[in-house]
Amino acid sequence: MPATNLAHLRRVLAVRGLTPASAIPDASGGRTEEACVRPARLVEGSSLAWRPVGAPEAWPDPLAFLDGIQRSELIAYAGAAPIVVGEIAAAVRERDGRRLTTVLAERRVIAIARPSALAASGDALDGLESVALPEDAPPHPVRDLFNAARALDRARGSLELLVGDRFRQRSAGWLVVDGSLTESPGWAADPRMLGISKSHATLPFEGVELERYLRLPYGHRSSVYAPQTRSLAPVHAWALRLWPWEGKDLFHGLVRIEVAPLNGSTETADLLSRRLLAERAPLSTPDPRWDRLLYGIHSVEQYLRAQVRSTA
Amino acid sequence: MAFTRWSSTSALRYEAPLDLVHFSRSPKHIVNMLESHPPVGRVVATELKPSTPHQFFFWTARESPIGIGAIVRVEEQGRVVFGVVTDGFAYSDMVTPMHAVIAADGDPVAAGIEPTARAEIRLFSAAVLRQMPEEPLQPVPLGPVWLASDADVVLALRMDSYTTGDRPTGIPVGLYAAGGLESPVYLDCDFLLGPEAAHLNITGVSGLATKTSAVEFLLSSIFQTFPRHKGSVAALCFNVKGPDLCFLDQPAALNEEDRRLYAKLGLQPEPFSNVRYYAPFKGDGVNLNTLRTHDALAANTEPLVWGLHEVLDYAEVVLNRDDVDAKADAFIDFLGERVVGREYQDEMLRGKPFLVQSFADLEEFFRAIFDFMEVLGKGAEVWKTHHLATIRKVRNRLSNISTRSKGLVTDDGVAHDLPWGRFADRSVHVVDVAGLDPLAQDLVFARIVSKLREHLERRDLGVDHVVVFVDELNKYAPADGADTYVRKMLLDLSERGRYLGLVLFSAQQFRSQVQRRVVGNAGTGIYGRMDMDELATPGYATISPATKIKLATLPKGELMVRHPHFTQPIFVKFPRPAVLNSREGIERFPPATDLPFPEAVARQMRGLDRRVGADAVCALLEGRREDDVRRALSATRRERPADAYAFFAACLGRRVNGEVVIPRRGIPAVKRTDDAYGR
Repeated sequence: MPATNLAHLRRVLAVRGLTPASAIPDASGGRTEEACVRPARLVEGSSLAWRPVGAPEAWPDPLAFLDGIQRSELIAYAGAAPIVVGEIAAAVRERDGRRLTTVLAERRVIAIARPSALAASGDALDGLESVALPEDAPPHPVRDLFNAARALDRARGSLELLVGDRFRQRSAGWLVVDGSLTESPGWAADPRMLGISKSHATLPFEGVELERYLRLPYGHRSSVYAPQTRSLAPVHAWALRLWPWEGKDLFHGLVRIEVAPLNGSTETADLLSRRLLAERAPLSTPDPRWDRLLYGIHSVEQYLRAQVRSTA
Repeated sequence: MAFTRWSSTSALRYEAPLDLVHFSRSPKHIVNMLESHPPVGRVVATELKPSTPHQFFFWTARESPIGIGAIVRVEEQGRVVFGVVTDGFAYSDMVTPMHAVIAADGDPVAAGIEPTARAEIRLFSAAVLRQMPEEPLQPVPLGPVWLASDADVVLALRMDSYTTGDRPTGIPVGLYAAGGLESPVYLDCDFLLGPEAAHLNITGVSGLATKTSAVEFLLSSIFQTFPRHKGSVAALCFNVKGPDLCFLDQPAALNEEDRRLYAKLGLQPEPFSNVRYYAPFKGDGVNLNTLRTHDALAANTEPLVWGLHEVLDYAEVVLNRDDVDAKADAFIDFLGERVVGREYQDEMLRGKPFLVQSFADLEEFFRAIFDFMEVLGKGAEVWKTHHLATIRKVRNRLSNISTRSKGLVTDDGVAHDLPWGRFADRSVHVVDVAGLDPLAQDLVFARIVSKLREHLERRDLGVDHVVVFVDELNKYAPADGADTYVRKMLLDLSERGRYLGLVLFSAQQFRSQVQRRVVGNAGTGIYGRMDMDELATPGYATISPATKIKLATLPKGELMVRHPHFTQPIFVKFPRPAVLNSREGIERFPPATDLPFPEAVARQMRGLDRRVGADAVCALLEGRREDDVRRALSATRRERPADAYAFFAACLGRRVNGEVVIPRRGIPAVKRTDDAYGR
């Protein structure tokens, strides 16, 4: 992928009569989720329970981690329609002998705008992939920027799927994914894939069960449940408390684990939980999400951030 | 164009096309280079740690041949920068140690079994040695970093300016070694022996093959590689302790590694072929005051004996500073100009002229003055404007010199000195002053260096350059203490000697304790393993902490070298000197025990002529006065006749047997008579 000089792009677009702009849109760095409760179906026991998982247990090598990042920048307006250039990247880093090495990585630079705005830019954006925003309503800069962020988010998800699939083609080892497995039927059914969600915007229980879910003690997991999902990829999930939360926050150290349904047995959930507990160290500081962010995922993010240099 | 100039100054002059292929500006060559010698690191610059024209930072893989002192090359966008690694850093992405404690639940054992090793960095800082092109001088580019090749080392240390061409002036000082590469490092003899700069100072703790070994190796290197077009060179070494320099003419048993290093440096591992030793006598006047007294080494070991004439010019050295006031100085001048070595006539003292050539003659002269003053009686206190007290003081001090420096200074005036005017090219003269008291050592230093200077000024020493090696410089030119004659002399030598070809190679354990101007004038500095306390002194402030650590832990045979051509100090290793070290030398050539007078004389005679039998000499000395024998021996040594024994016997003269006095018969008494008066 050619290095993109945004300053140069702005100059070229200005020559073509567009209005150069320089701003970092809100939510340019990551996906946004709507807070909601989607009641899940328990598949382990009849009521939500806390289950101690036992002592941490080392994950046998090799173990791989997949994550993706995104960033975007407003570069110009064609009339009132914004043109956003976003960069997405995804990578897999595999651990062998305690050392993580990057085995797969992909980066893309995407121009996101209404088709008319893309047309107005002429050949200035040649060489970049483009994503057209819906043009069913008159341009509204704020709404268009929101749509651009969602488009970039989707593009990043797609890139992660691509990289994950490529990894699976070359390796049958365990792959820990940052986020949900439900984006892909293949992932959701993969017996050696595991999704870890740090975000709890969508909660699986409500009322007393939710309270029990959120008060999960350190070193325990919740009963396995089947999240309600709008996608076609059913998974099994449970919550795992990586760090004591008392005195901090209900979400401190709380992660949601997703696996293929065939891994949803009690024994497998306990085993995977013990292995994940062992992954608490080293801490992924200074990331503020260190209590839920595994170091392997953190390492992929660090790698991608180093790769995705400033394009300003 | 800048690159044209660069090409003409380096690549064209240096004949190493294989290694220099990457110095071509062609991008194709750079690609070839990348493929054949992959870079070992990459320059990084941040706002807090930016690249500058004199310093840069680069990171490497965890497994890398880079270490402190390694020479590296950065090449980017047509600019080539050479640097030497001065410091190293390693750190992980951990923000605070507390995070390690938390992650391990406070259990150090658990901390060691974390499933993932943290990301970590090997970051090195490097000081710029050279930039090509040199103008405009710019910050180091953010390019790939290579470990320097042999050709790179030549360019980085600017050795291309003096190791190539029709008249190279490079003197091998050791091998720069890093990452499996070994490159010879050369000093420029114009900057080592003059006239551009000169002098060498060596610092290092004792016993770790730093000072003596380095000097022995470097002198050998100079003797083998000093270019003929620069003239001739000799060395004069003061052996100030033990048997340090006593075996320069004896070969050492070198191992294969040493021989390999010699071969790599283009040197022959051989001892010095032309060495002469000089040592004063002990108090008995016949046994030499040196540890080099083994019979097998006697042939080139000679006594060093001075008389009044040799000493008087340096009276300032042997007299206490308090003694030599203006009045005493004036009287000493009077003695030197009017009395010593010439006829001095003073009718008031005595009828016949004085001929003062020895301390004994001088004593006679003083006695005459005192007798004369006594005759004059009370109130007569001035003789020829010199006060009697001043005369007495000078007489006491001078007369005692032969006692205080017994063995070096003789009463009888017969001197045996260094071969002034006959110094041979590539010859070494070792003066062993280890057994002398400090006063006598000062006298030896002062006189020998002054004589060297006189002869070099007159260009009649026999050689064009003389290297004077002085160990324990902190003793002779201390940073603190009185401003002695020797210190002033060493300072003068360090400041002006290079114009004469008089070069000071000095060594000491603690550079900080040496007069700053003396070591500051040394163009070249060598540092062996050093004490951390010494490294903490202000004189080492410019050395990075990592380099200090390396200096404090340097193995035997490794040195750090400063040289005017090198913009940064460089670490080199050198082979063991090809001469016997003191310990081996003493084991192989144990010093002879002090012998009684006749046997000691016999040993010296055998040193002059192996045919001389000890019994014959002892028989010859039977009944002789020791002073007569010393004089005869001294004359024999001076003349070095073909038949030493015959000459010696002739000097002693015919034996005069004691005469038996037969009592003469008395005159018989007159017979008694009746004469009453005849009873």
